[in-house]
Amino acid sequence: MKNKRTLWALAAVLAMGFAAAEKVHIMWSGAITGPTSDAGKYYAQGIEDYCNYINDTGYVAGVEFVCEVRDDQYNNANTLRNFEEAVDRGDPIFLGYSTGGTLQLKPLIQEVGLPFIPASYHIGNIDPPDNDYIFLPIPSYSEQVIAILEYIAKTTPGAKVAMVVHPSPFGRAPVEDAKKAAAELGITIVEVQEASKNLDNTATLKRFENKGVQYIVYQNVAGPVATMIKDAQRLGLNIKHAGAHYAGGPDLLRLAGPAAEGFLWVTSYYMPDEDNDGARFVKELGAKYGRPADTIESVHYPSGMLAAAVAIEAIKEAKDAGKKISPETVYEALLKIDWPNKLAVGPVTYSKDDHVGVDMLRVLEAKDGRFVPITEPFSSQLFRKVHYGK
Amino acid sequence: MRNPWTRTGNYKTSYKQDTTIFTTYSEQASLIVFLVGMLVLPQFLSRHSMQILDLILIYALAVLGLNIITGYAGLINIGHAAFLGVGAYTAALVSPYLPFWAVLPVSGLVAALAGAVVGIPALRIKHLYLAIATLAFQIIFEWGVGHSPALEQGGAMAMPRVVFLGYKVGFKNHHYFWYYVIFVVLVLLAFAFRNLLRTRWGRALVAVRDNDRAADAMGMDPGKTKVFAFALGAFYAGVAGALYAYWSRAVVIEDYSLAISIKFLAMAIVGGLGTLVGSFFGPAFLELLDINMESISHLIKAVYNPPGVDVASAVRPLAFGLAIVLFLIFEPRGLANWWRLLRSYFRNWPFKY
Repeated sequence: MKNKRTLWALAAVLAMGFAAAEKVHIMWSGAITGPTSDAGKYYAQGIEDYCNYINDTGYVAGVEFVCEVRDDQYNNANTLRNFEEAVDRGDPIFLGYSTGGTLQLKPLIQEVGLPFIPASYHIGNIDPPDNDYIFLPIPSYSEQVIAILEYIAKTTPGAKVAMVVHPSPFGRAPVEDAKKAAAELGITIVEVQEASKNLDNTATLKRFENKGVQYIVYQNVAGPVATMIKDAQRLGLNIKHAGAHYAGGPDLLRLAGPAAEGFLWVTSYYMPDEDNDGARFVKELGAKYGRPADTIESVHYPSGMLAAAVAIEAIKEAKDAGKKISPETVYEALLKIDWPNKLAVGPVTYSKDDHVGVDMLRVLEAKDGRFVPITEPFSSQLFRKVHYGK
Repeated sequence: MRNPWTRTGNYKTSYKQDTTIFTTYSEQASLIVFLVGMLVLPQFLSRHSMQILDLILIYALAVLGLNIITGYAGLINIGHAAFLGVGAYTAALVSPYLPFWAVLPVSGLVAALAGAVVGIPALRIKHLYLAIATLAFQIIFEWGVGHSPALEQGGAMAMPRVVFLGYKVGFKNHHYFWYYVIFVVLVLLAFAFRNLLRTRWGRALVAVRDNDRAADAMGMDPGKTKVFAFALGAFYAGVAGALYAYWSRAVVIEDYSLAISIKFLAMAIVGGLGTLVGSFFGPAFLELLDINMESISHLIKAVYNPPGVDVASAVRPLAFGLAIVLFLIFEPRGLANWWRLLRSYFRNWPFKY
């Protein structure tokens, strides 16, 4: 009898708990199929798993998160449809994906005032106009490229550099800032090439060799980078390769194999084989939710987690402040956020004038088939000067 | 005609009757009912549904253009999205200076000019070679935009908010307002499309498609006809591009890529090449298929999600590809043919033959 009463009491408490739990929707719209889905599918899994983890641990009391990952197939019309659905439903924040999709949504994001965290770290996302509600989790591609140029200038003063960028706003955005930074750093950008689908880069690489290029810096996705570094290896060129976030990582190691050895990569995320809380957390979460090894090893998995984590942290701040969860309160919370997360190499902080969350980066080098950090976390010295003129 | 409301067979006895658009009053009445229905439709649809409907109608306008080039004139065009892009970028450039109702024809005319230029190779080449020439235009367009600072190198060019008769179009009424604009434009251009075959230029398109040498021998100019087809089809696409730019609120190069050109071809094939109703059925079928497959993929994910194989995500592209293949094999005349059979059935009802 006593046991029965206890069970009833427990059930009543649970029922009250469920009844009281406020359902908060967070939608992500990105490419699980189609172009760039090699990154998008892991990014989506990171969001799902982090969200499940938060619900399982009851991290935000009284809130049940409903994280929806939508496959927009890298089609802006689908992204727009998903975004407007989230606005109509009253979602407090939205997680985006591509550069094109985010740029297209910018005027609408500004109009409806819905905080937006893209997977694209394109500087145009957070540059005026219509930039109040877009927040990057880590530094922009422009800052990443300048950071790698700073590293090159330090290790090889007066270096000759070529840039190979994706033929899109995603690829081209850092070029002008990189040229200004190179002039300040005393290195030379001898050529900028666009590449995305080349099957053979012999002519380009031989020209680079003739011009005395010592480094090629990529702002591209891993596929074209892998093709080029394999060609460089085949030609026996003495050129070092370096790249921004989406150019490198475990995806590049998988695609390029031994040719990736020595590749310099700049990112804000930890590698899964590092011995620290962040790497352990990612592996534990992946194992808990039955993810295969390729998911856990992909840098896009923690990237997705960080985007979801920033959104959830802002919602928690708003909730803890006793406010109703809405786009307005989450936006206010984002502007004040200072969260020492373990998914990336620095804390997430935003302000009215700073829409970059983690301000730190590291340079990693491919050694024996894995990326190992070769610098401590640092911020670019020149980026603000060359981009904002301050 | 004994009964002007119905007919059970082909009783046309003159050329005039043969070129008539409506053979019975019931056809006229059904069109009027349909148009009135379309006018009141937004009263019953959510903002979300309106968004999808707008997109389908914009794509229908673009496919009408493709049907002039590929359906009527038989010129394979795999650069149609680039014509849309020309219209969209024109709209982005001129919209700060012109009202939206003037932007639409201007965008169409600029795209028509581009179409005429692209049509010039059609004077010398055809079939697969022409397809490659249109592909070249698509690539040149993407490269040109990507290297034009005035066009933000393919990045977003925001479209201004429209104020119409003192009525500001904002987030809440955006899709409703643009529905009516798209609807009016579409009705006008669809009537033009329907009437095209009643003109000498329209008949020349079909004659050149069927046999350009024979058409030449009969006094038509195949060269001019082909350039005309490209210019007119591109005009439709240009207007659709301008509408798409307003509808999506910004112009981004990715919306006018080769993949979108392929999608238009798929829509034209599924709908029924060279048909008016097919230009509506194709976009509606493929867009709604995609949206429904998205829902189905969520369901699949909920009940069957084996590790390592993303079955749910595969459903959408699989359905798209399968739909095209099945139509090509089993119904190459597209949904328009089903519509024709359906109408025939009811026309003769209750008599089977």
